Amino acid sequence: MKFIARKIKGQSLWADAARRLVLDPFAFWSFAIILIYVAVGLSVKFGWIASGWQEEIGPSRLGPDFAKDWRYWLGLDIFGRSITSKVLQGTYTALFVGLMTSLISIPIGVIMGCLAGYFGGWVDDIITWFYTMLSNIPDFLLLVAMAFALGKGIFAVNLALGLTTWVSLARLIRGEVMKHKNRDYVVAAAALGAGHGRRIFLHILPNVLHIVIISFSLRFVTAIKSEVILTYLGLGAQTGSASWGLMIDDAKGELMQGIWSGLIGATLGMFFICLAFSLFSDALRDAFDPKLRT
Amino acid sequence: MSELLTINNLSIDFSTSEGLVKAVDNISFSIPEGKTVGIVGESGSGKSVTSLGIMRLIPNPPGKISNGEILFQGKDLVKATESEMRAIRGNQISMIFQEPMTSLNPVFTVGYQIAEALILHQKLNTKTAREKTLDLLDQVGIPNPKARIDSYPHEMSGGQKQRVMIAMAIACAPKLLIADEPTTALDVTIQKQVLELLAKLQAQYKMSMLFITHDLGVIADIADEVAVMYRGKIVEKNKTSAIFQAPSHPYTKGLIACRPRLDHHPLRLATVSDFMTEDGREKPVSSDLLGKTKTTRPLSDSNGVLLEIKNVKKHFPIRGGIFGGVQSWVKAVDDVSLTVRKGRTLGLVGESGCGKTTLGRTILRLIEPTAGTINYNGTDITKLDREAMRQMRRKMQIIFQDPYASLNPRMTIGAALAEPMTIHKIGDNHQNRLERAGVLMKKVGLDPKFLSRYPHEFSGGQRQRICIARALAVKPDFIICDESVSALDVSIQAQILNLLLDLQDEFDLTYIFISHDLAVVKFISDEVVVMYGGKVVEMADAVSIYENPQHEYTKKLLSSIPKGIPQKSVGSFGAGSGETSSILVT
Repeated sequence: MKFIARKIKGQSLWADAARRLVLDPFAFWSFAIILIYVAVGLSVKFGWIASGWQEEIGPSRLGPDFAKDWRYWLGLDIFGRSITSKVLQGTYTALFVGLMTSLISIPIGVIMGCLAGYFGGWVDDIITWFYTMLSNIPDFLLLVAMAFALGKGIFAVNLALGLTTWVSLARLIRGEVMKHKNRDYVVAAAALGAGHGRRIFLHILPNVLHIVIISFSLRFVTAIKSEVILTYLGLGAQTGSASWGLMIDDAKGELMQGIWSGLIGATLGMFFICLAFSLFSDALRDAFDPKLRT
Repeated sequence: MSELLTINNLSIDFSTSEGLVKAVDNISFSIPEGKTVGIVGESGSGKSVTSLGIMRLIPNPPGKISNGEILFQGKDLVKATESEMRAIRGNQISMIFQEPMTSLNPVFTVGYQIAEALILHQKLNTKTAREKTLDLLDQVGIPNPKARIDSYPHEMSGGQKQRVMIAMAIACAPKLLIADEPTTALDVTIQKQVLELLAKLQAQYKMSMLFITHDLGVIADIADEVAVMYRGKIVEKNKTSAIFQAPSHPYTKGLIACRPRLDHHPLRLATVSDFMTEDGREKPVSSDLLGKTKTTRPLSDSNGVLLEIKNVKKHFPIRGGIFGGVQSWVKAVDDVSLTVRKGRTLGLVGESGCGKTTLGRTILRLIEPTAGTINYNGTDITKLDREAMRQMRRKMQIIFQDPYASLNPRMTIGAALAEPMTIHKIGDNHQNRLERAGVLMKKVGLDPKFLSRYPHEFSGGQRQRICIARALAVKPDFIICDESVSALDVSIQAQILNLLLDLQDEFDLTYIFISHDLAVVKFISDEVVVMYGGKVVEMADAVSIYENPQHEYTKKLLSSIPKGIPQKSVGSFGAGSGETSSILVT
């Protein structure tokens, strides 16, 4: 018992993972970028910044002008609106879609995966059949179909993405739950008289939760990209709202005339958040990977 | 006799997040030509690191040979270049590992893997290499080598795979063979065959051998000289017979004494801490510690029957075909009947795959039996519905083999101990349950302060104590110990076995003790059941089954146990022997 005596309060694996994250510079900086985006998104939501993005503040298609205030730094669009403001507004849209999609798809994925993995048998057969069928339909075709069925707009994008992207998570969770359900600690819980619910949600779920967290982070990237693409295809945010997809759509015509600032704004906006989330997901995986410990 | 390998002042360090760890600390020993040197030690003693160090296979980082020299035929391996080492590895020094299952590459045939070494080191062509491989397979005792040479590893049993590993190791007729726990993963009957094979090959090839093991019984059988390692240091080295007859270091004394033996039946097992203080100094040993011999507890009918199982079967279907129909059945447990008396221990022994674990889990209905009745205190529990069975689980508990796997890594010890009380509504509130958990911690010899800690912060032995406390939390009458001490070091094993005995006395518990280790079962059990191929082949009280086995399989099992401690030393730790006092009273 030589190693005891140092500290009495135990350190959970979660706390240990958090400690690893703080020590990882990639995690730190990518998380900082994510926080900046979130701050921007919230500021836009509450109207603190870029609220007047629809105002005409100058001549149509004015080039970037660093002499004036920040609204002119990326120039103005065809209606004389600030492109910087539009990029900021687009940040909110992107984060909103990312969050809503995750909130819809993760509970579905977790519950489906847990049920299929834990009970096996016909429960597993039905769930597996269902998601195999779902994943056999080309993703975008399904999204397009759903977006049409639900009517165009951000709400439809959220729902469509949420209802289609849970499959990979469910698969992962199913596999992990299958692995854990025969582990001694779960059998021990059964021997102590624990019921199914307690075994699934109190014992197994906390041990696979790291997958959910990593998946949440990765899902954001997919959702943001999908929103942009759907919008670009005319199925997402509609004219009159702000979205990076719309800006890229506008750039089709603008590039011909040598106007690049709209495209650059939207691309950089997307690039940094996607990069930050990808790096952060990797850092999460390193920090949470239970294979690194006994 | 000249020395083949001489190690001088070798130190190997590992850098970890907690700082530098001296895995091997300034050790020196030598291996004479044609002799076997054994290194014995418990997990973490540095014995495997030493062997990897000789092969220069220490992963760097984090490991590093920080000091000393390894002279192999006069050449210092510490200074050898990587390409020089490659020429030595597998050619002049070769190695066999503990896990034959993972040491062979599953995608290549065994013939290919043996021939590879021959082609690489001896520059043989494919045809001659294949002929040599056939010859090698024959030498290591693989029946019908011509048919087996093109088998894949998964088509062979564990013992055969280890034979293949040995064939690979001796393919280039090495001067030194390093065997790192080569028989630990094998059943006792297979272990005996492999040890005999190694001894035969050693004589035939005139090799030296470095034999690493945690098992004193094995080392006594095979080694000429033994070095005992403890916390990175060699605490004692001597001729094998001398080590066993007159161990000088307190750790060695403890290690020898704490091992249950077939020829000696103590009331309690000695532990290393009876011989040695925490900082490694010798401790005076009380004379009654080792002297008291257990007398068999009477098995009269006054001890009522607690558990009676009749004709229990568990058959697993093997499905196949395009419709997934049942093709055949695996009879894991086949028509087993036995009775367990109140307050007594029934030992269940057998080799891997004999159905002992399945039987244990079937008794608790963690696996549903295919047929048969399980009467617990007069109730046939196979007939109970789910809720009634849940209530019944309060009475019947199980302790598993692997203390690392049987605790939920995300739960504090306090939560793990309080959970069964919550399920069965013992105690009024969480605070009260935590208090009870603290009492349980004391009962199993742990400090209640550690309730807020997590499992990964404890050692294997401590975790097993926690598992025992958790089983006791529901105040059971009956506990199945499924290989509960098999994963533990021998000194820790002795402590846990003593603890189980103490708890049995205190709470009047009834045990079924499942193990592959006959010596452990003999120590703890009143009655012993031997299983083979899903059936009970013999059942008798603990003493007579060992002294007078009836069934052929039991006889074979008993004769396979390493005779270990040389016959001369039998009784040297018994009471009243002249030698005892000279060893122990120093």
